[in-house]
Amino acid sequence: MSLIRVVDLTKKFGEFTANDHINLTVEKQEIKGIVGENGAGKSTLMNMLYGMLQPTSGKICINDEEVKFNSPQDAMAHGIGMVHQHFKQVPSLTVYENILLGAEVTKKCGSIKTPFIDTKEEIARIRALIETYHFQLDPMETVANLSVGQCQQVEILKMLYRNVDILILDEPTAVLTPQEVDWLMENLKSLAKSGKTIILITHKLREVMAVCDSIAVIRHGVVVGETRKADTSEKELAQMMVGRDVVLTVSNEGGQAPSDDVIYRVDNVHAVNEAGAEVLHGVSFRVKKGEIYGIAGVEGNGQSELVRILTGMLLLKEGHVSINGEDITNSWPHELRQKKIGIIPEDRYRDGLCRDMSLDDNAVAGYFTEDVCRRGILNRKAMHKKFMGQVDKYDIRISDEYGNVSQLSGGNAQKVIIAREFESCPTMLIASQPTRGVDVGSIEYIHQSLIDFRNAGNSVLLVSSELTEIMSLSDRVGVMYKGNIIFEVDPKTTSVADIGLLMAGTVPESLRDKA
Amino acid sequence: MNKTKHSSHIGVKTFNSVMPVLLAFVIGAVIIAVIGENPLETYRIMITKSLFDIKGLTRTLQVAAPLFLTAIATSLCFKANIFNMGIEGQLVFGGFMAGIVGHYVTGLGSVPHKLLCFGVSILCAVVFALIPTLLRAYLRVDEMVVTLVLNYAMARILEYLSSGIFKDRGAGYVATPPVQDSAKFFLMGTTKVSPFIFIAILVFILAAFIMIRTKLGYTITAMGKNPSFAEATGLQTRRTVVVLMMLSAVIAGIAGAGYMLSEKTFYTLDFSGSPGLGWDGMLIALLGRHSPAGIVAACLFYSALKTGVEKIGLYTSVPNEIVSIIQGLIVLFLAVQFMDERYGFMEKFRQKLAAGKEA
Repeated sequence: MSLIRVVDLTKKFGEFTANDHINLTVEKQEIKGIVGENGAGKSTLMNMLYGMLQPTSGKICINDEEVKFNSPQDAMAHGIGMVHQHFKQVPSLTVYENILLGAEVTKKCGSIKTPFIDTKEEIARIRALIETYHFQLDPMETVANLSVGQCQQVEILKMLYRNVDILILDEPTAVLTPQEVDWLMENLKSLAKSGKTIILITHKLREVMAVCDSIAVIRHGVVVGETRKADTSEKELAQMMVGRDVVLTVSNEGGQAPSDDVIYRVDNVHAVNEAGAEVLHGVSFRVKKGEIYGIAGVEGNGQSELVRILTGMLLLKEGHVSINGEDITNSWPHELRQKKIGIIPEDRYRDGLCRDMSLDDNAVAGYFTEDVCRRGILNRKAMHKKFMGQVDKYDIRISDEYGNVSQLSGGNAQKVIIAREFESCPTMLIASQPTRGVDVGSIEYIHQSLIDFRNAGNSVLLVSSELTEIMSLSDRVGVMYKGNIIFEVDPKTTSVADIGLLMAGTVPESLRDKA
Repeated sequence: MNKTKHSSHIGVKTFNSVMPVLLAFVIGAVIIAVIGENPLETYRIMITKSLFDIKGLTRTLQVAAPLFLTAIATSLCFKANIFNMGIEGQLVFGGFMAGIVGHYVTGLGSVPHKLLCFGVSILCAVVFALIPTLLRAYLRVDEMVVTLVLNYAMARILEYLSSGIFKDRGAGYVATPPVQDSAKFFLMGTTKVSPFIFIAILVFILAAFIMIRTKLGYTITAMGKNPSFAEATGLQTRRTVVVLMMLSAVIAGIAGAGYMLSEKTFYTLDFSGSPGLGWDGMLIALLGRHSPAGIVAACLFYSALKTGVEKIGLYTSVPNEIVSIIQGLIVLFLAVQFMDERYGFMEKFRQKLAAGKEA
């Protein structure tokens, strides 16, 4: 008998079918991996299991009994709990207060409830809970002082306290350091041993292979494969995910050894965020001609702010930026483009593209060259011709050539940006999270473009939270931690474990003497 | 398939514009019926006397000319997410000054006198618009509040001027002296429309050209649809804010002068009417969803309503206020729609309803 059985579950949003007759079973005490590319329909499926969305048709059975969830509360009552990608916590409260939020233990006077919170009892219960599951947390600690990994533990404890039997984790490792990921994986295993059932949603195949007992692959809202871990391989899963063979990493060959000419200099950059807190404390690095300089780090350590400064979207407080010896500190975005700096922004739909404008319009954004715009008057025909040329050259898949950007998938939208920036012949490219939310086929293409660009003698600043991307593409890697680059390493001679330690803020023994 | 998607989109847009109007008319009909008149007959008179009769139609165009301009001025700013509420104040200031120049300057030919009036009106409107523009561009003061409040300041200033130094001693009420004949636009032939309508059409064509074929239009669209994108791709948004506020002030100035020289010929305290040409223009811009064709349609409809009401008093006993009621209802329904687009509460309501049915 299966614990969860999903039969012909379908969810439609208007004409778009997000989940198409999904059939899935989860056995008791197993760790089930649900993998698929972004936009494949994983989250829709889980949101239905958790009562956030209601299915259009089909049914969900728990212990062979059909259930209907109208809200997460219903799901919780059936023992299903979900840990979201973004935590819902009160930073100023302590760990135990956060866990018990909404389920406070009140003092009792005889058998009558009083409105007063029994703090002692609360702390004791949470301490016991933490010990039962061997977590490493102090119940009295304020959540604001916790690392991201510890916040996630709080979130899991919240669910465990509410006696959840089935735990759904949505992309739990996206924000963790490699060490924290290892810890989480171990803990998931021991949770499963102690009787819990776990559903792990991810697009990272390595993690699925490490912990899951069985795996379901979703593509375009359809389950394309369901296997036990022992019967499959990482490569096979990747193939199922995209529906064709993929090379997981591009070869980083063909470049000449970077010369010693420094093209791009960033010196001692300090910056404050909107809230007035200093987020960058003197960042310095150099990018040489013909080199890809990677910036690795757990998200939220100042990378976004750094990129915003370097692309002219945020003013720096102190420090200098220069290209080819010319000072470009606090330059406007259009001035940066005149200096031949190409920009691939972190959030493509916010800074890179305008969804509700035409493809032609997007293809010239930032580059109103003589051929498309003379004295402020646009040449619509030339704009269209220019874009159609890019469509062929960069293999952008479009369905309506006169339509808006909103018709494109994430990967193709990113290619519009890539085409636009490369076609303007920059000598320096700032690429932030260039493959986020992009399908595997496009990732390969984008990686190859970056390498070709470098091999042509240009320079790239690559900022990414995907460690494999940084490691396989970069010539040098700076690791960012709490608003500073704490160490620069050569990715070819450094292990992932060492970079992981650096991302967590400690310099490993093996690298100390190099410092 | 994408073609149909596109056209259905336009269908939805049209529906969204027509719906508030229809609802307003239905409720208006109920009120007319309660008064004891035939609503269909009343509406028939309103429509035939304003659109299907050469005098009525030309009168409608005459009424439409300044509204056309204020709608364009509003639309250019709103499209770029600049909530410029100052068209009304700029218009009355420009119109007032055109009236003054039109009266006190004498001995000029017909064309130079008009040009001078328009020039002064535009200049005044622009200078007045500089206050909110500079505050917004350099000190980041919210333009909506400043432009809104300055309208009232301007109304008081003009009240002072027109009841003091510029008062027409011969008039029995507060008014400035009428403009000279050399500055006046006269009605063409036996029609009820003056050549000012051609100026309005010219400005409209120019504005449409700016929106569709220029980098400025591109910047306006980008700023309105995704301000972050506009800034990140190097469009000079701060400069565009200044340019747009000035541009809309120029159009407001043209509208003010044109209205003064073609319709009013002297300034009174109710020069711009109620609620005012600037506000009517804003309503038309919203009703027309800021699209060129939409604005033309909304403007003609709205002007027909204004002309039609002058006639229903002659043929029925329905009071003129019925049009104010219909206008008010349209504004109300538009506001509901506007809020819905912002906060999507209809969608939430639908979801709740669907969830309730399933339970």
